[in-house]
Amino acid sequence: MTIKHESQKIAQNFYTFAVLLFLVQVLVGIIAAIQFIKPDFFILNFNTIRTLHINALVVWLLVGMMGATYYVVSEESETDLWSLPLAKFQFWATVIAVTGVVAGYIVMGLYPQANSLILGTRALNEGREYIEAPRWADILIVVSVLLFLFNNFMTMVKTKKWTGIQGVLLGGLTVLALMYLPGMFYTKSMVKDQFWWWWVVHLWVEGAWEIIAGALLAFMLMKVTGVRREVVEKWMYIEVGLVMFTGILGTGHHYYWIGTPAYWLWVGGIFSSLEPVPLLVMVWDAFRTTRETRVVTNKAGLYYTVAHAIFNFVGAGLWGVIHTLPQVNKWTHGTQITTAHGHLAFYGAYVLLVLAMIYVTLPAIRGVKEFNASRAFQSFWWMTISMVFIVLTITGAGMVQVYLERLMGLDYVAVKATYNLWFWILRAIFGVGFLIGVGIFVIDYFKLGKEPATAKA
Amino acid sequence: MSNKAARNLFIYGSLFFFVIFLALTFDTMGKLDKRAPEITEAVNAGKMAWHKYDCIGCHTIFGNGSYFAPDMTKTAENKPKEYLKKFLMDPRAVNSKAAMPKLGISSEEADNLIAFLEWTSKVDTNDWPPKPVLASAAGVGGKELTGGEKLYRSLGCSACHSISGIGGTSGPELTNVGSKRDRTWLIAHFKNPASLVPNSAMPSYEKLKEQELNDLTDYMLTLKQEVKK
Repeated sequence: MTIKHESQKIAQNFYTFAVLLFLVQVLVGIIAAIQFIKPDFFILNFNTIRTLHINALVVWLLVGMMGATYYVVSEESETDLWSLPLAKFQFWATVIAVTGVVAGYIVMGLYPQANSLILGTRALNEGREYIEAPRWADILIVVSVLLFLFNNFMTMVKTKKWTGIQGVLLGGLTVLALMYLPGMFYTKSMVKDQFWWWWVVHLWVEGAWEIIAGALLAFMLMKVTGVRREVVEKWMYIEVGLVMFTGILGTGHHYYWIGTPAYWLWVGGIFSSLEPVPLLVMVWDAFRTTRETRVVTNKAGLYYTVAHAIFNFVGAGLWGVIHTLPQVNKWTHGTQITTAHGHLAFYGAYVLLVLAMIYVTLPAIRGVKEFNASRAFQSFWWMTISMVFIVLTITGAGMVQVYLERLMGLDYVAVKATYNLWFWILRAIFGVGFLIGVGIFVIDYFKLGKEPATAKA
Repeated sequence: MSNKAARNLFIYGSLFFFVIFLALTFDTMGKLDKRAPEITEAVNAGKMAWHKYDCIGCHTIFGNGSYFAPDMTKTAENKPKEYLKKFLMDPRAVNSKAAMPKLGISSEEADNLIAFLEWTSKVDTNDWPPKPVLASAAGVGGKELTGGEKLYRSLGCSACHSISGIGGTSGPELTNVGSKRDRTWLIAHFKNPASLVPNSAMPSYEKLKEQELNDLTDYMLTLKQEVKK
């Protein structure tokens, strides 16, 4: 198996950058975990470490999806990219912008006063969770995404194949670009600030990104199992349709307690309770497709694809729905329960998705038919078992916190420093386990296809 | 279902739900200012300082943020201003065990941050965060027990009745009794329960002094928390 179009190789640049950021994300994650036990542990405070942990995650997933998209659009349109130099330029511009933003966070972490006001916006850190990137970087990000969308769109126009997979993929990416805009203006009201902030955060993660995931899942199932396009595309439409029908109004589950009217309790409660349904359909889709296929050469690719579907449902679906009803959420909102959900949801829905895309497309890019998948399985189990235990310890911490702080009225600091201490220690240990898994993956990424495929997995 | 039908369902269905979402957003935007106090210059300056120091990188506000440090929504309501100001400017001078570092917050910035936190504490958040059940029942939180609360305990009312989930279930729940009954009814009921509630199994408390009956009734009338089931 080799690539049909030379420009598909550009995906590899994006993957490499993504893989390195993944490693950075997990390293700073361990620092953050230790800071829960010892806040002064590191030269940078928790806020900067957490910003790096989550920004690295968002960027590497996004970059991974971009690489995957260049590959998929070229493959689906059966032609080279409209402009390979433009794709290369977009890649390097992204790398430089991201490096600049990270440097800014670190400077701000060391010298908080350096975060001065320039033209009405903060120079280094906007101080808004997840979208800390300053306005100048926001603009660069939008330009980069627009260049990326334009290049892919022009590629599709070249051959006018208009397949469902690339249509939905580009649709999801367009929604993603549009939904970045509500985070780019200042409001004096903290309530309005959070209202629009959730447009970005929720409509990305539970909207645009799930559409992209649906399209990439369809592509991978088709490539790995050889199932007919008509079948995967039909189920893809049903899945992403259900994602939007439940997810758009499901935004309401973030509007319970931030100063918004009480009708959101009804809207958010009902629609977000239905959000696991499309994720369950995806699991069923992955299993049904896999069962119908006898011969699979890329076992690692299939493994990660199916695991992505399962953990998307468990992490984003189940771990979300347990605290989405207002009656429950009143007690759990703002506790470690949310952190637990966040970790498993992102691992299942997006980390495994991008890793699956890498395992499905990288062998072709490197020009190998088969590869030794033993490291892929090893890293999968190190990462997955560690993540499951990380999530269980944080869930335990959250349950203790809800009970002691919210029901009994104990002080936040007392609960965190004393009653939850063991959970933090265990979480840090499992964090190291996760790092081992990532280490194995990184080695595998760089070696894949560059050594003879001897052992059979 | 054909692929084309599935595709159209996805596209038009998504648009349909997005239009509803936009309409609700429009309606919400019209209502937000009425659910919060006026935003003064100091409140806005406080919000700017909140962003400048990336407070949300550790704290939560309205329950959203980083879960590493306490939620700030109701801080200004629960803690004295003088304490907050000193703590903001140099946390470990006030509390040597504080995890929060000295960020270089100026006196003016601290005042503005407090104004901002006073604003958030008055936003109508649909009763979030909820009052802790046990702490409320035990009457802690810096308040001395009232005469009525003391009587409620010494008479053992909680053997049969519950307030915010604490107590027995053989008698009716009293969490919201204050908005259901008035003074006359309550006093008459204490004296002779069965005269007002047929088949009532509650004993008469006619033996209590007039003052005690009044205190107990005062306490009952403060119980006005809506019971959500």
